[in-house]
Amino acid sequence: MRIKILIVLTLILVSCSSKEEKLKPIIEPQIELVPLTNNFIAGDTISLLFKTDTVVSNLKLRLKNAFGNVLLNHLKINSDIIAFKFPMSYSRLAGPCHWKVIQEEKTLLKGKLNISTNKAKETHIESYFGPRSVTAGYNDYSMLTIAPTDVYDNPLDDQTPVTVKYQFLENISELNIETKNFIAWYNVRATTKSGRILVSSECNSTTSKELTTIVYPSNATGFSISASSAHNFADGNQILTLKSDIIKDEFDNVVSDGTLVTFVIRNEKNAHLYTIGTTLGGIAEARTLHPDKASRWEIQAFVTGAAESNVTEFSFTPAIKDYPVYFSKGNRNIDIGPFESFMKQLVPDGILLQLDIYDENGAFIETKKTTTKDGVCNIFLGEYFLPSGTYTLKFKAAGISKEFTKNIHDN
Amino acid sequence: MKKKTNTLLILALIVGLAFHGSAIFFTLEYTYDALIHLFFADHYADSWFDPWEYRWYTGFTVQSYPPLVHQVIGILSYIGGLKFGMYTVALIAIVLFITGAYRYTLLMTGSRRIAGYGAVLAVFSSTFVETLHIFGQLPSVSALSILLHSMTEIYLWIKTGKTRYFFTSASMLAVTVTSHHVTPLFGMVFFIAPLIGMAVMDASREKVDSYKALSFKVFWATTLQHFWRIAKFGFTGIFLLVFCIFPYWYNSKRNPITQVSIPHGSRDNFLEITSSGLVFFIIPWGVFLFVLPYFFYRYFSKRYIFFGLSFTLLTILGTGGTTPIPLMMLGETAFNILTLDRFTLWATIMALPIFAEFGYRMVEGDLKTLVQQKFGAVYHRVLGGLIAGGMLFMVLFTMTLGYFRPSQPAKIKMLPIVNFLGADSHDAWRYLPLGFGDQMAWLSAQTKAMTVDGNYHSARRLPELTTRAIERIENSKFRGVEGIGSLQQFLTVPEKYNLKYIFSNDKFYDPILYYCGWQRLQQLENGIMVWEKLNVAPIPQIMPKQDVPTIMKIMWGIIPLSTVLIAFFINIQMIWVRLLKSRKIEEHSFRKLELPYNKFPRKLLIFSHFWAFIVLLCLAYGIYLFYIKNVAQHSANNVVESYYDALDFKEFSRAHSYLDPESNVTIAQYMLEVSVTDGILSSYAKMDSLGIEIYDETKNSAKAKVATRWITPLENVFHNDYHELVKKDNKWYIKPSKFDNDIPPDQLFTANSTTYYNHGRRKITTQETYHEDVLKQPVLEILSAKLVKYKGQYSVIGELQNVDNTPADVVIKATLYNDLNKELANYNAKHQIKHKLMPKETTTFKINFEGIAWSSTKDTLPPTFDPDQFTPVSFEEQPTKFNLQSAGNIANTDLYKHVALQDLEYTEQGFNGVLFNSGVQEVTIPQLIVSYYDSDNKLLWVDHKFVPEGVRIQRKQFFNYKPLELDSLEIINSSLDNCFVNGLPNKAIADKIFPNRKLIHGKQQTQPFKGKGYDYLKFEINSYIGNPK
Repeated sequence: MRIKILIVLTLILVSCSSKEEKLKPIIEPQIELVPLTNNFIAGDTISLLFKTDTVVSNLKLRLKNAFGNVLLNHLKINSDIIAFKFPMSYSRLAGPCHWKVIQEEKTLLKGKLNISTNKAKETHIESYFGPRSVTAGYNDYSMLTIAPTDVYDNPLDDQTPVTVKYQFLENISELNIETKNFIAWYNVRATTKSGRILVSSECNSTTSKELTTIVYPSNATGFSISASSAHNFADGNQILTLKSDIIKDEFDNVVSDGTLVTFVIRNEKNAHLYTIGTTLGGIAEARTLHPDKASRWEIQAFVTGAAESNVTEFSFTPAIKDYPVYFSKGNRNIDIGPFESFMKQLVPDGILLQLDIYDENGAFIETKKTTTKDGVCNIFLGEYFLPSGTYTLKFKAAGISKEFTKNIHDN
Repeated sequence: MKKKTNTLLILALIVGLAFHGSAIFFTLEYTYDALIHLFFADHYADSWFDPWEYRWYTGFTVQSYPPLVHQVIGILSYIGGLKFGMYTVALIAIVLFITGAYRYTLLMTGSRRIAGYGAVLAVFSSTFVETLHIFGQLPSVSALSILLHSMTEIYLWIKTGKTRYFFTSASMLAVTVTSHHVTPLFGMVFFIAPLIGMAVMDASREKVDSYKALSFKVFWATTLQHFWRIAKFGFTGIFLLVFCIFPYWYNSKRNPITQVSIPHGSRDNFLEITSSGLVFFIIPWGVFLFVLPYFFYRYFSKRYIFFGLSFTLLTILGTGGTTPIPLMMLGETAFNILTLDRFTLWATIMALPIFAEFGYRMVEGDLKTLVQQKFGAVYHRVLGGLIAGGMLFMVLFTMTLGYFRPSQPAKIKMLPIVNFLGADSHDAWRYLPLGFGDQMAWLSAQTKAMTVDGNYHSARRLPELTTRAIERIENSKFRGVEGIGSLQQFLTVPEKYNLKYIFSNDKFYDPILYYCGWQRLQQLENGIMVWEKLNVAPIPQIMPKQDVPTIMKIMWGIIPLSTVLIAFFINIQMIWVRLLKSRKIEEHSFRKLELPYNKFPRKLLIFSHFWAFIVLLCLAYGIYLFYIKNVAQHSANNVVESYYDALDFKEFSRAHSYLDPESNVTIAQYMLEVSVTDGILSSYAKMDSLGIEIYDETKNSAKAKVATRWITPLENVFHNDYHELVKKDNKWYIKPSKFDNDIPPDQLFTANSTTYYNHGRRKITTQETYHEDVLKQPVLEILSAKLVKYKGQYSVIGELQNVDNTPADVVIKATLYNDLNKELANYNAKHQIKHKLMPKETTTFKINFEGIAWSSTKDTLPPTFDPDQFTPVSFEEQPTKFNLQSAGNIANTDLYKHVALQDLEYTEQGFNGVLFNSGVQEVTIPQLIVSYYDSDNKLLWVDHKFVPEGVRIQRKQFFNYKPLELDSLEIINSSLDNCFVNGLPNKAIADKIFPNRKLIHGKQQTQPFKGKGYDYLKFEINSYIGNPK
């Protein structure tokens, strides 16, 4: 039983639907516009009055302006006059405003109003200035665009005079231009000096806000560099500082901070090394480490594509003249050093020693690398690594090579 | 007989609610699935009828999962929030499960006493504990519990044919369907089919005097007699399954799961991958393993024969990949889509009544008598204690598994992230969480912002995800190279997904973020690092959406809860009566089938002992293996393994304890040395595999060659190390290796540099773009660009310069066309470019075209993804032209340029070079970008290499680079015609900003080197700084 009730209930629920509407006969009223002016000023209260023989509820006014369309319902003034009041967004927008009286989908009457800019009230200025930075020289500029508007944001008529002012260093210039197609514009040319240009504009005694563009220096031009260090021994530990003079562009502006300068170092083996500096106050400084063997470095710096420096040379004399090598424990334990530097002092820790191991027939087996600590270093050739036999051992450190042929055995 | 309330059931309910009810508050949020259901619930709470969810996977439909549980949580969330809803549903599920187990046991055994045992055992069943407290499968648990409830009703319908039972059973089945689709689907086969069989069997039994007399003929006759009831129910079941969640089936048909199979532990070979064996076999079975012979004995008696078959099937299917049978039975597709742990879950639930019966017989029945008679009362007590203790142990073990071996990252405070997304229109872009685990679902539930990731992979639609066997991008590192590869695609072309923000909870991903051109924005107060990408447009206002007919939305929104209400009203009377014993109801017929239990078979007892002994033996052997493998210094192999394990997990004091104590490396010295080593291997790598080769082993010493493979966010790193091992006092140790002794000349350094700061908006306003505060995009110039083909792969290479006066962040995108100007592919420069350029800095770049034009390349995708051997897009037509779009945005971070090339030498092993860090930031991962030029110094190719160790301040680092052979390189097109910078033609920029470019500079900065197919080389350095100061 319950189930049946449930089913019936569901059916009732499902069969519920909205009823059909019957069409009413359409009565077409005769209407005419109560004459008024067709010209308004933005911000005026605008109402359109119509005389009509029958007042029907579905009479509507369709407005169309640059913003879009809207449908208005009428207000009844008396028995034969109806009125349509424009919403503010339509009465405040300057320009043509088309209207149509429609019933259902039928147009009964149409017309056009002209709404003009409201010049009487205060003027607003909308101004744009860009790009926000330009390059010093003769072919770059920022454009100042000014759109003076009335209080309702309608652009003022063409030929409205606008005053443009711009300042650079001590100079403040002023000139008068006129709007055309609602805007006034002026190209503020870049100066040859780097700095900041401020601009403003004025229209109908309303002034705009301050806008600015930065004149960045142009591309770098030739410069010179120098290299300096605490000494010129190739100890692989001291730091060589490379420094440029003040890098300037063709207009004598110091190049902008952060400009990347590549110091290319060519050593005696024609390896191109490099280090990088960025400018600060036009001076780029870069550092690199002394080599650990005698070298002659030719250094040239580049602002890629724009400028290069002179070539400066820096020669490193050997700091380490020689080093002893001791073998022990079946020649498996190798002590290298002490390494003595240019004043017979022990070298700072970290001098690289490379050992290349070759077998009897001269076939390369492997390379071992270690670094000095307290002036010495040690290599232990464990038997898992090298079985007993005769090997050629080539040592290389601080640019000095040594070669030994040893029989390596377990005690 | 007066009916008494079943005290055991009441006890089970009280203990169950107290135990599980309080435990869920500490476990549920750390489970795999619970938070996903929470996210779905949030969807319903927010928009009940609209199934489209924008927040995951660039949009998916929630009609891809049955909605009941989510909708209930959603409704309850209006009372006390989402989590309140979740816990309430969990509590309801617990009650339903216990009572369901009771009714199911009662049905099976006919004894209220045994059913009470069943309820108590259900509370402590390890499979239930695991499903609820570790997996968090709320819909599955709820559906299963209701299925258990419905079984009695189904039995009674088949047996009696009373309409009332038809409606009760159908109503409950409907609820099951709407809470979980797989449970009723397989439940029909594995539970309901044998149940119907049993009902018919019982009916046949009534016709004859004994089970012996019950022949197949009688059974067949009875089946025919009951045929219409069975058919009626069967059709109703199928109808409900289709109708109640019709939108689900509709969606499955429309959006078939294209996801490639995602590996799941339940499909592993449990003997090989013991962790899966533990989670998907040992834990759910628990003590049941010892009683298996009894289960089979009982289930293969005549009455239960159909359950016996079903139980056997489930047991076998639950073994996953251990035997080939499940694969053969299910077929390739089903095997790879289904998670097989559910079969074990059902098998153990199915065994519950028999286990209850066993418990009853053991505690107070004939088994007790037999055991006492045979082995004495003490043995019986010990045995009982062992079984009970074993059960309790399994429950505690399972419950605390998540505590001792957390499967989720520590709980993240979401509020700062939610606030960040809410502020300043950050939710106008998509975000991506990294390293959040399943908590990402909880974050998604709390914000309106969208992510490209998600946690329900069946609903994925982005081909970038469906073609990858990864769970989430968020935890891509656990899926090795394949996961990282998928992540890299999102990071390289983020504008495709409007992805701008990344919340990183795992430092591991930092390097790849940096090299893909992302930058750090800020660290939130909960420690999450926010990364951002410049030049990404916000999500469009109108987003694509796959709409469904309104009727589907209404069905989906109304049916599930209606099934609950209908089931409630239909069954309330029965529940009421049963609960309060307000009136005497007729005993169900199955109650008469209660067995007397007076003779426990001796042989079974003996066999069971034998079986238990074998299980114990296996267990002991397993534990022994585990011990041998894990005792750190037991063997040479173990100590190396443990050492690397400790290094991998950054447990340096543990690593130090494996070092030879006589080598005089103090823990302080060791920690110091380790702490100063930085680089991709020591800071951002996860060990993937470890190959240890022990050789020259003597009694007290050995040597080990350790070949490691590391997954780093950037690429795979293979590393070989050699160690000496010694044995002292029966323990193996490792001899420590040497460290670099290099020291810088000075202690204190000074350095000047230009730093930058970008205000963003100077005015505090919510307006979108205040035009005064729009920065000019830095101007770039593309110096050269070429489309080349190398080793069968197309690339666009080139060189560009930041020609502006401000630092630039560079994004560059290449599009390939064929002769007919048909677009073939587009992609961005990934890491073969310096993304941040100082004024006047140049960079070479290479754009590879990864197969994101997926639909056509699906077949060609290799099964595993290797970032080095990435998937090239397969072109139907030959690309002959290209278009380059580059964009500069002002950069103010990651502008460290002070790594110098201090030495370079060509040897037989390639270039040996020295990097020197001349600045004041520690470079964690230096990258070399190597470009190749022809004799006219025109660019030919761009290659890169990550140096595995970092460069510390004022120190050097050695590297080795093997130059390539380019004789097979083919230049297809070399032109600057279709190159654009910030939307403007490149030529106009070149003419205006660099009219007199000195082209000779290029040559002067390159290294002459005569190689195969090229004449010049250039090394550029891009440095990633892990901890900027």
